[in-house]
Amino acid sequence: MLASIPPVYVAPFDRAWRNRELIRAVVRRELISRFSGSALGPLWAVLAPLLMLLTYTALFSITVPQLSAGVTVTDYASSIFIGLIVFNLFSELAYRAPMLLHEHVNFVKKSIFPSETIAWTATIRAFTYAGVAFAVYIVFRLLTAGSIPLTIVLTPFLIAPFFLFMLGVVWFLMALGAFTRDVAHIMASVVPMLMFATPIFYRIDQIREISRSAALWLRLNIVGDYIEMLRDLSLDGNMPNIFAYLGIVAVSYAVFIGGYQFFMRYKSVIVDVI
Amino acid sequence: MSSEFAIRCGGVGKAFQLYAHQNDQLKQILFGLWKKFYREKWVLNDVNFTVQRGERVGIVGRNGAGKTTLLQILCGITQPTKGEFEIKGRIAPILALGSGFDGLLTGRENARIGAAILGLSRKEVDACIEDIAAFADIGPFFEQPMRIYSVGMIARVAFAICAHAKADVLIVDEALSVGDEIFQKKCENYISEFAETGTILIVSHGLEFLKKLCTRVLWLENGVVREIGDPAKVIAHYRAAMKAEQTQKIARVL
Repeated sequence: MLASIPPVYVAPFDRAWRNRELIRAVVRRELISRFSGSALGPLWAVLAPLLMLLTYTALFSITVPQLSAGVTVTDYASSIFIGLIVFNLFSELAYRAPMLLHEHVNFVKKSIFPSETIAWTATIRAFTYAGVAFAVYIVFRLLTAGSIPLTIVLTPFLIAPFFLFMLGVVWFLMALGAFTRDVAHIMASVVPMLMFATPIFYRIDQIREISRSAALWLRLNIVGDYIEMLRDLSLDGNMPNIFAYLGIVAVSYAVFIGGYQFFMRYKSVIVDVI
Repeated sequence: MSSEFAIRCGGVGKAFQLYAHQNDQLKQILFGLWKKFYREKWVLNDVNFTVQRGERVGIVGRNGAGKTTLLQILCGITQPTKGEFEIKGRIAPILALGSGFDGLLTGRENARIGAAILGLSRKEVDACIEDIAAFADIGPFFEQPMRIYSVGMIARVAFAICAHAKADVLIVDEALSVGDEIFQKKCENYISEFAETGTILIVSHGLEFLKKLCTRVLWLENGVVREIGDPAKVIAHYRAAMKAEQTQKIARVL
């Protein structure tokens, strides 16, 4: 019996693999139900990021010449767009996670439902939309700049650890949110604060020119690191610093395992409280 | 093996932690080592019974006797506070029919998810989805969003899913009362058929139905097993107790 228990660092994958059919079915449901009843349907997944991108481009073509020299309008818009794709992904999940168990209360309380899979489905869904937005970016980049850096093929190595990081965050917030609704309120004020501490509308390099210590502090924000590295790969064509990369992979993995264990530890209590 | 049991329940007890405020729950987690922030309410206390394979056991008891909690524990939805239980084989719980359904999706889509929750693989679902549709027998509604369904139709789909889950143990909670007569007949037929190979644990207030269906009846009162045994006998005692209490109450009012 003991031999069949997988070690801690792969346990979450083992559980997810055993429930893969369920996760697939629920993800499908979430994707369908988000667009059912709307005339344009899944087209919205493309239209929403496209409108956002066009708005920025239009806006910056007026303002950028005053902001900084040597940066083209489309570069600037692309840079912000990449930042927003990642941050929107983070904020959507951070807002939603504390309420996830309340949303699925019927599943959790009235059927044999492995509640830890809710985090998987929510995260997969959010990453699917971000993926569509990223595809919009690639097309936009190809049309406006004529080419895209080859390093873009390496983005999966960035997306995978970010996915695990978000899963860990969702598990943690999900469990906490079941006990007290305050978590949802806290996130509603923390996320906008975090937005300014994330290099979305600026870049770390610009901060470093002003203050080295501030730039160092900002690097502690792991979401910002992911944004900077994604820009390196898909906009500038630079290789990110390998040590910085390994660092955030390690932290992400720790968050993933930690979040999972936190959730599983309180899972049986949660059923009785929501 | 001589002990071909399907369900074994040994001293199972469940205490709910009652909190004056919802946020005391959080305090309990943070400071639980130093102080207790809740009162305990024991809804189940030392429940012992064994169900052999192929048995049909009915559970009776008034509201709040702990019937649903007992089923939830057996299904693994909630953990018992003390004691232990064991179930052999795959369970199909019919607890709150259709509560996990999404009103925006069609019956077919919901049936696929419901079957996945019960542990069926996609291939198995593909193989039996038409059978589920036929069993539910709601015609073209099966392809319509579920929000336009009647309660009875939802129950039909939910029961149809569980009927095709290839389970060894069927756990039913007051599920059959909403369907119309034709469907109830169908469910009863299914359950009797199921009983030939599988085990059934069923909660119901339909005492006549239980008397007909079950091989044994368990009477749960205030979280303990008051009596277990021959259906006709236990149900008669249960009825007598209910009646006695009623007359007592009426006497008190008068």
